[in-house]
Amino acid sequence: MASVYIPVQNSEEEVRVALDQLPRDASDIVDILKAEQAPLDIWLIIAREYFKQGKLEQFRQILEEGSSPDIDDYYADIRYERIAILNALGAYYSYLGKIETKHREKEEHFILATQYYNKASRIDMHEPSTWVGKGQLLLAKGEIEQAFAAFKIVLDGDHDNVPALLGQACVQFNRGRYLDSLELYKRALQVYPNCPAAVRLGIGLCRYRMGQIDKARQAFQRVLQLDPENVEALVALAIMDLHTNEAAGIRKGMEKMQKAFEIYPYCAMALNYLANHFFFTGQHFLVEQLTETALAVTNHGPTKSHSYYNLARSYHSKGDYEKAGLYYMASVKEISKPNEFVFPYYGLGQVQLKLGDFRSALSNFEKVLEVYPDNCDTLKVLGHIYVQLGQTEKAQEFMRKATKIDPRDPQAFLDLGELLISSDPAAALDALKTARTLLKKGGQEVPIDVLNNLGVLHFERGEFELAQKTFREALGDGIWLTFIDGKENYSPVEASSSILQNKEIHLFQQLEKEGHLIELPWTKVTTLFNMARLLEQLHNNETANLLYRLILFKYPDYVDAYLRLAAIAKSRNNIQLSIELVNNALKVNEKCPNALSMLGDLELKNDDWVKAKETFRAANEATEGKDSYATLSLGNWNYFAAVRNEKRAPKLEATHLEKAKELYTKVLAQHSANLYAANGAGVVFAEKGHFDVSKDIFTQVQEAASGSIFVQMPDVWINLAHVYFAQGNFSLAVKMYQNCLRKFFYNTDSQILLYLARTHYEAEQWQDCKKTLLRAIHLAPSNYTLRFDAGVVMQKFSASTLQKTKKAADEVRLTVAELGNAVRVFKQLSAASNLHFHGFDEKKIDTHVEYCKHLLDAARVHLKQAEHDEQQTRHKQEALRQMALAEEARRKADEQRKFQLERRMREDEQKRVRQQEEHFERIKEQWKSSTPGSKRRERSDIDDEEGRNSEKRRKKGGKRRKKDRNSKARYETEEDEAEMMDDREEMEENYEEPRDEVNGQDDDGEENAKDPLAAAGLEDSDAEDEVVPGATISRRRQAWSESDDDDDDEQVEKQPESSPIRENSVEMRESDGDVRDIVDKLDDAVNDED
Amino acid sequence: MKLAGLKSIENAHDESVWAATWVPATASRSALLLTGSLDETVKLWKPDDLILQRTNTGHCLGVASVAAHPSGMIAASSSLDSFIRVFDVDTNNTIATLEAPPSEVWQLRFDPKGTILAVAGGGSASVKLWDTATWNLVATLSIPRPEGPKPSDKTSSKKFVLSVAWSPDGRRIACGSMDGTITVFDVARAKFLHHLEGHYMPVRSLVYSPAEPRLLFSASDDTHVHMYDAEGKTLIGAMSGHASWVLSVDVSPDGAAIATGSSDRTVRLWDLSMRAAVQTMSNHTDQVWGVTFLSGGGACRLASVSDDKSISLYDYS
Repeated sequence: MASVYIPVQNSEEEVRVALDQLPRDASDIVDILKAEQAPLDIWLIIAREYFKQGKLEQFRQILEEGSSPDIDDYYADIRYERIAILNALGAYYSYLGKIETKHREKEEHFILATQYYNKASRIDMHEPSTWVGKGQLLLAKGEIEQAFAAFKIVLDGDHDNVPALLGQACVQFNRGRYLDSLELYKRALQVYPNCPAAVRLGIGLCRYRMGQIDKARQAFQRVLQLDPENVEALVALAIMDLHTNEAAGIRKGMEKMQKAFEIYPYCAMALNYLANHFFFTGQHFLVEQLTETALAVTNHGPTKSHSYYNLARSYHSKGDYEKAGLYYMASVKEISKPNEFVFPYYGLGQVQLKLGDFRSALSNFEKVLEVYPDNCDTLKVLGHIYVQLGQTEKAQEFMRKATKIDPRDPQAFLDLGELLISSDPAAALDALKTARTLLKKGGQEVPIDVLNNLGVLHFERGEFELAQKTFREALGDGIWLTFIDGKENYSPVEASSSILQNKEIHLFQQLEKEGHLIELPWTKVTTLFNMARLLEQLHNNETANLLYRLILFKYPDYVDAYLRLAAIAKSRNNIQLSIELVNNALKVNEKCPNALSMLGDLELKNDDWVKAKETFRAANEATEGKDSYATLSLGNWNYFAAVRNEKRAPKLEATHLEKAKELYTKVLAQHSANLYAANGAGVVFAEKGHFDVSKDIFTQVQEAASGSIFVQMPDVWINLAHVYFAQGNFSLAVKMYQNCLRKFFYNTDSQILLYLARTHYEAEQWQDCKKTLLRAIHLAPSNYTLRFDAGVVMQKFSASTLQKTKKAADEVRLTVAELGNAVRVFKQLSAASNLHFHGFDEKKIDTHVEYCKHLLDAARVHLKQAEHDEQQTRHKQEALRQMALAEEARRKADEQRKFQLERRMREDEQKRVRQQEEHFERIKEQWKSSTPGSKRRERSDIDDEEGRNSEKRRKKGGKRRKKDRNSKARYETEEDEAEMMDDREEMEENYEEPRDEVNGQDDDGEENAKDPLAAAGLEDSDAEDEVVPGATISRRRQAWSESDDDDDDEQVEKQPESSPIRENSVEMRESDGDVRDIVDKLDDAVNDED
Repeated sequence: MKLAGLKSIENAHDESVWAATWVPATASRSALLLTGSLDETVKLWKPDDLILQRTNTGHCLGVASVAAHPSGMIAASSSLDSFIRVFDVDTNNTIATLEAPPSEVWQLRFDPKGTILAVAGGGSASVKLWDTATWNLVATLSIPRPEGPKPSDKTSSKKFVLSVAWSPDGRRIACGSMDGTITVFDVARAKFLHHLEGHYMPVRSLVYSPAEPRLLFSASDDTHVHMYDAEGKTLIGAMSGHASWVLSVDVSPDGAAIATGSSDRTVRLWDLSMRAAVQTMSNHTDQVWGVTFLSGGGACRLASVSDDKSISLYDYS
């Protein structure tokens, strides 16, 4: 063992001090050193020895003694050693200051260190080691630039001063100039190849920071070769191993970390990493212990922050969000700038998100984003937060950015797609499609809800084939495929309704018996439901039916499936089954508003007014008035109630209308975009005669409704047409009705045909009207009203033709034929009325028959007359032609005569010249020849006169007749179209009579009361005007309300069916329900996603 | 199996064409297509070029149904004014004018032997049978009324008979009504046998399969075609796919396929072994009121008529 020899003063002897046997009490040594006035280097050696042995107190004691003022005096000349001692002390205190965690002590240590160095400087300004020490101190204090200056001073003096090189390297490292730092370390190593391992550590760190991992590894390994217990190198290597992200690497890394921990249990870095490791292995207890130790041993902000972060993470993963939040917060506090260590912000954000503190979470994630502006996860999280905060546009912006930054991240596209579903289906579709492609490319399975959403989007866009494909993909293999592909058909079953309903269940049971596995995972139910909806849309109701049944077979509580089944049954007019199905749904949930609303509709269809109203009320209550459908239904109910009775009770009507309006308005207040409520409001306005307002409303609704495949609103078309009709714009009304028929009903709706016919009727287009009615009859043969109307039209046509002042025989002939048809139609109706086929009053029909017969008789007369007239005209024409011919002949004869006369005169002259001698005889002859000529002329004059006279006579007669006609026409417009005949009066009476009679019956039979009105409705609209004051409005209203008074008989009972809005509600249920369904599905999907 | 369009005649009539049937070939001429229209005419067309042979007038209001005697010599047409005109196909001489007031007249069908003309009687809730030798009304097959109808009850009018079909052996008649019920009668005993349920909307067309005598097809406004075992009262299957009312159905002569015409403007061909539509023809632009197969004489033809005033002829193979 090494020893030092302290020379004994004034002798050649020396005191040998074994360095490993230094006394416990340094005072002994100090005494010796003092006594012997030992050279100062000995002091230093001994002090250093103490330091090495970890006896810091003794080390300090010796050096303090060695730097006391006495020593200064005594050793005044020995400058270097004194400086060395001061520097050693300075370095010591720098070190203390550096490792001290408490702020005040730290400062004190640094002050002491500074003092010592300053003292050393006073001894020699230029001593490089002092500068090095000062540099170190400044470095420890974090005053990098000043440290740089200090080291520079040294290096300027001596390029190869190793400590200064190292110090400067450290400075450069801290300044982030790793290349410079590396150069300095290298130089130090060149100058002093045997320098301690720590130098290589520096090289390693530089390399590491420069990303030269392999070289860094070499450097660290070299360090370990030189100093197997170098904790820093171990930790550094371990970190590098850990970062390889391979199982083997991580294991090796952890081994090294553990070794470092064993060597030096207070290295915070190692502790943090160990904690990190145990976090991942799930040993949270160890995590907490390690991080707590780490926190205790370090004062280094970033490291502490890391420790807190570890701790927070541990709690986070354990679900203790409160604590996790606190520790994240602590971790964040240790960080001066987020870009140093951003994870805790992320963690904090996550915890705050979890705790519902969106605003704070937002700010934290935004900090993360500042550091990593392209971090997809952060962008996505921010997107989600904005969704939660309701700022959809911002959310979309972030999601879009995320997808742009990483166009291969399916999740980002999924999120974006889901975000866009409600606002921009087309973009959502694109995003989801991309996501699907990416997932497929990545070999991942596309989640079923993504496919489901994709399918729904296709569905909504009307791309049914794509939708079907997508749903199929989502559903995958299963028993449903056999149904969808139609491989499985029903076995024949008894065709009676009760069993019909259960046939599917039998089928499933039978399939199960046959050993087929009937399974339906819960996750696929939604998609299967949507598939069934799609099949419905594609009119493949049979398969849809099966799929709904399959859902119910496995999940009997799936109300929506019941409702869809009920809707299918309803569309097939199987009301009984439909009601049963809805009741099944109500068994599952007796307050299900959808089911209740549907039940209400069905009850209305069954003419169960009171029950329906109660059901709608219940639906309304079930949703606390929030479900607009129930409110709407009640509104509709009130509207029907207002107009259902032909015998209008004005008070009741007003009340009902007011109530209906109130309800519609209520819905509109809740959902300003509710088309159906707007439509309803429009109807009420129209009922009140505000046609302009209602027209505006209807036009807007019509525009709005023409966007989606789920919104089918033929009613608004009809209503608009009604308004046109009521305003007398017949041609537009016709167009509107026709478009509506073609667009929504495949031309199958006889009711609209009836409206159309009515419009033609008002426009006096009799043939169009008749054709339209015949079409309607062909579509709805059992609707005898239509036949009646057809009869009336033919009658009216005939009557109006007969009224014409000028009519061709062909026209009259047609009239006769039409009257024949009318008589036949009425007779048939009359005969059928015996059998109670329809609700017409026999007498009334008989009246029509009689009337038509009368007309027919008259028409026959007219026909005869017309034919006669025609013949006469023909004769006259013939006569005229003859006359013209005669005239012509005469004219020709005249000419001839003149010519002859002239010729004769010429001849005469010639003769006179030639034969003057025979003068007398010739004159006699001349007289003879001229007399017959003048006689002829006279006669023709008379003829002419006669012709003129007769013409005059004819004209007079014509005038007379015209007058007749005028008076007649006036009469007709006043009274009715009625009658051309002489016994007009009588006819009127006939006509009047039944009306009175039946009016008298009003009290007895409601039903009968309508008939005459109906009959009158077509013909006596003018007459009614006289009767009712303020006629225009009432008439308009009448025209409006049903626009088919002619149809009202018998209809009153069935009126709901004929009312346009009724269909509206029916349709609405479905469409409304659909949309809701799908929205639900999407919501589900989104929730799943979360 | 498939349909191939052969020929279409636009504006074959002046108005909607509502009825079509094939008149079988006779010794002197080939088969003819007989069509009836709202324009009150009945026209005869010669395949395959659909050359107009004759235009028969004499009906008032639209022609709702046409039927041809199996001999191919005579045919009948009915119009909305409830007259039936029986006429000689080749000469257009009127053989008889039939009416049975107050019963209306809807679909007409001659029985397979040609001895009886069955007429769907509309609101009379019955099928009228006319003897084709004497042209006398020989029987009225009435649908029994439901028990205990109230006088004011209007359900009675719901048994409105629209369509009628003969079984291939001529022993059964099935008729379809407005309320969707199909009623089967025993012709020989003029007796009601049973109802076939399943439709709740008008059944406008019915046809028995020539291959399986018990098999009955029905076309209904509920957009479905049903297959019944008419004897066993069972619903064998239902086929959906049309978007609107199914107005007409006919079975191919081989019994392997049916064709349907619908308000959705399409003609569909259904493979019965798959119970699925195999082809959809959408050449019509309005409701297709009639589809009818021609059997015999080599190639099989299908004709369809529509509200769009046109007639189309297809080759079925």
